[in-house]
Amino acid sequence: MRPRTAFRVGLVLLVAALAAYPAVGTGYGVRAMLQIFMWVALAASWNLISGLTGYVSFGHVAFFGAGAYTGAILITSAGWSWPAAALAGGLGACVVALVIGYPCLRLKGPYFAIAMLGLNEVLRALVSYFEGLTGGGNGISLPTLEATVPVYYAMGVAAAAVTLLAYLVITSRFGLRLMTIREDEVAAEAMGIDTARHKLYAFLLSAAGPGIVGALAARDQGYIEPISVFPLATTITMIVMVLFGGKGTVWGPVLGAVVLFVSQELVWARFPYLHQLLFGSIIVAVVLLMPRGVLGLLQQKYHLPRTI
Amino acid sequence: MNVVITPAMLGQVVVSGILAGALYAMVALGLALIFGVMRVINIAHGPLLMLGAYTTFFLYQALGLNPYHSVPITMLVLFALGALLQRTLVFRVVDAPELSSLLLTFGISIALVNLAQLAFTSNLRAIEYATGSYTLGPLAFSKSRLIAFAVAAALTGLAFLFLQRTRLGKAIRATSQSREVAMVCGVDVRRIHLITFGVAAALAGAGGALVSVIVAIQPEMGQIWTFKSFLVIVLGGAGNYPGALLGGVLLGLVEQIASLFLTTQLSEAVAYILLVVILLVRPTGLLGGRQT
Amino acid sequence: MRLTARIALIVGVIVAASTLPAVGQQGPIRIGASLSLTGSYAKLGGNQHEGYKLCERDLNAKGGLLGRKVEFVVYDDQSAPPTAVRLYEKLITEDRVDGVMGPYSSPVTEAAANVTEKYKKVMVSPLAATTSIFRKGRKYLFMVISPAEGYLEGLVDIAAKRGLKTVAVVNEDTLFSKAAAAGAVELAKKRGLQVVYQEAYPKGNTDFSALLTKVKSLNPDVIAAATYFDDAVALTRQMKELNVNPRMYGVTVGGDLPEFYETLKQNAEYIYGATQWEPSLPYPGQKEFLDAYKKEFGHEPSYHSAAGYAGCVVYAEGVKRAGSLDSDKVRETLLKLETRTMFGDYKVDGDGFQLAHKMALFQWQDGKKHTVWPDELASAKTRFPTPSWTQR
Repeated sequence: MRPRTAFRVGLVLLVAALAAYPAVGTGYGVRAMLQIFMWVALAASWNLISGLTGYVSFGHVAFFGAGAYTGAILITSAGWSWPAAALAGGLGACVVALVIGYPCLRLKGPYFAIAMLGLNEVLRALVSYFEGLTGGGNGISLPTLEATVPVYYAMGVAAAAVTLLAYLVITSRFGLRLMTIREDEVAAEAMGIDTARHKLYAFLLSAAGPGIVGALAARDQGYIEPISVFPLATTITMIVMVLFGGKGTVWGPVLGAVVLFVSQELVWARFPYLHQLLFGSIIVAVVLLMPRGVLGLLQQKYHLPRTI
Repeated sequence: MNVVITPAMLGQVVVSGILAGALYAMVALGLALIFGVMRVINIAHGPLLMLGAYTTFFLYQALGLNPYHSVPITMLVLFALGALLQRTLVFRVVDAPELSSLLLTFGISIALVNLAQLAFTSNLRAIEYATGSYTLGPLAFSKSRLIAFAVAAALTGLAFLFLQRTRLGKAIRATSQSREVAMVCGVDVRRIHLITFGVAAALAGAGGALVSVIVAIQPEMGQIWTFKSFLVIVLGGAGNYPGALLGGVLLGLVEQIASLFLTTQLSEAVAYILLVVILLVRPTGLLGGRQT
Repeated sequence: MRLTARIALIVGVIVAASTLPAVGQQGPIRIGASLSLTGSYAKLGGNQHEGYKLCERDLNAKGGLLGRKVEFVVYDDQSAPPTAVRLYEKLITEDRVDGVMGPYSSPVTEAAANVTEKYKKVMVSPLAATTSIFRKGRKYLFMVISPAEGYLEGLVDIAAKRGLKTVAVVNEDTLFSKAAAAGAVELAKKRGLQVVYQEAYPKGNTDFSALLTKVKSLNPDVIAAATYFDDAVALTRQMKELNVNPRMYGVTVGGDLPEFYETLKQNAEYIYGATQWEPSLPYPGQKEFLDAYKKEFGHEPSYHSAAGYAGCVVYAEGVKRAGSLDSDKVRETLLKLETRTMFGDYKVDGDGFQLAHKMALFQWQDGKKHTVWPDELASAKTRFPTPSWTQR
């Protein structure tokens, strides 16, 4: 078999195995896989804006939270079914992205990062404040519903969709233009690329995924509160996953999400008093030792195509 | 609810805001220094403040040292720690894209918090010192905050003198303006970086010493200060040192006044919205002149 | 590309291996719990953990449960509800524990209870106090402490009896504190007090100048604060600084910790605190518990430690009387059980909601907590009214 065929066969087998998994896995196994899907979707989404354009979205969890709240409110107050609410969550996140992306994407470098960080805080404060709609600090408790397995499939589809989207973007002229912006925005502008519009499109695409999985996660956990859906640590985890796998690639975020989540569950969950330290050390190691990520290293060494 | 806001109340929160502002300015000046000289956004700044608070606490507990007398000692300890961090880790991300420095310092930050939890446990601690306030007419000046204001203002002033007048300070400013030119002029840039990070950590440490008598001391107390410092330096203009002073006082006032007219809940949001608006109007902050 | 394929394969294998079910175990009865060992509730979750540990030790010293040794399996949820959800799922389906005990705090319990319900596991949740958690039709969740809404009942009751008129209520904006504040407002209205001000502040807030300036301008007779530790300390210090002088001032959580007095020293005098339990209360087995606890951990227990211990004792009692670990049998027993532990009374309604346990109100007097409410448990008279800061 040619490698390409082998890869495709492997991919099909993997998808089949994942689809069959809920039939054999334990409750925890299913939930852990569901979480992996969630992280894949989050990391791949972050990669779309930050990996490609170089604009560091340091508040990306805002879209996750926006989606979680949109979904939870529609389910509890409007009686929507959760799949519809999840799509609405994606839409809600896109609306937020439009409102803040339009002005903020003009900011450069660290200023954009800090503005995004701030917007996440603003969103959290607003969600706490408008308690008529959001329950404020009480959070929202969703009606009890045993839906872990359907949510598992929905989350899997979301992860696959975002990865596919990343593949389509990265292999397209649109993706090339985004990377041109990353390398030199002034030059990109001079080449006639409408940078503002391109950045905004990428930003919107990167917000949809977190919005959808946010709503799905809300459904799955059954309870959300402002502090638990807007944490900075979630943004950082997405970023570390992308960086570990290789930013700007299709499979890097997937690889990073799987490896980091699995090692977190298997290894450092066993050290309750040390796991933050371990996670911190891993971040430091990734930044210092492999800033281009696993796939970046492989690309460099084996001259792999840019579009893996 | 129906609170009638009188001028005296407004005066009181303006006092509180300005008192808080000087402390913000001092802590944020450290962050501004690191950013200005090395283009590194130091998320571990708050945790360094936390370590400063613990240092002061243990000096107080073990030796009975007055928390204000231990400010210099705390600053020395934190200077050493900051220089060590720079020497071992941070120097590798100087000039790297902001993503590397954000992540590296975040990693350091959670590691420090975890280490603090291990070493000091999550026991709640605080120093009971200088409670109460001085009153002037209808206005109350919290003793601990007034002293913090004075010490912070003095230290910030000293830091400016150091930057303006001393050879070393000039070298630091030169490095932040143009590293290449500084190097050509014979400035040992690595040493400057080491000292910058040390001074910044010392300022955070001083902040920790001063807040140790204001709030409870626990391993997670620092994070909020990282956020506040961000706000301050961006409001004032990152890399612009006097801007930190303006940003600090501005943040203190905005927080207090928003809390008074709206609610405490919204004051943080108001501060961030102000930040974004200022950034949009002046993309490098109020006093920021240079484009990065 | 071949490498990518290989990586995909390896990743697949890792994923598959990670989710293999653990081998079931015989031998000790294993009780699982996720606790806030790190994060913002680390201190209180840690106290609860010590309660569980002491209970485990005591049960084993008395020959275990159903003739088997008892062993706790504890994970850290970092004070985050989503993590707790995953950990309970892990405890139940991977570790196959025989029973579970509750986590720390209302938000974490609210999330984790969805999992334990799904697997029909009885969960005695000793530190969840918010009523709404127990009014959602959950069948297997049991409450040990008094509801959050009643935390400030003592304060309001005394205020009403003393003829005070106005009250200001402030609270941290989280599930438990909001419920406690809402309860206080409700009770105050019922007792004819006028609620002149109410404001929630975000978690982690330590600057109360503006809030207190507003409160001061209304000059309420009572300030009722639904707090945790840090905010209770900051609030008190700033009340002194801004010279805010209510005739009664009470807090919910945090005010009962010895650290509260160590931190505030004489400024803590006269402050009322709500508590679920005090070492001085005359409950059976109190002395043995206190001695054992101090010997084991070298410090005094807080009510969180005691509730953890008592919750575990209640669960063990349920298992013992049911003669089985079967969830439905234990549930039946716990629904009917009426008992008194060193923590006080236990009796629940059909929802597992606690009816019998009593809140107490203490006041810091000369560096000691003295129970001042309810009358039948009181060990001292209230020092009333609280003098102004300048007259101490």
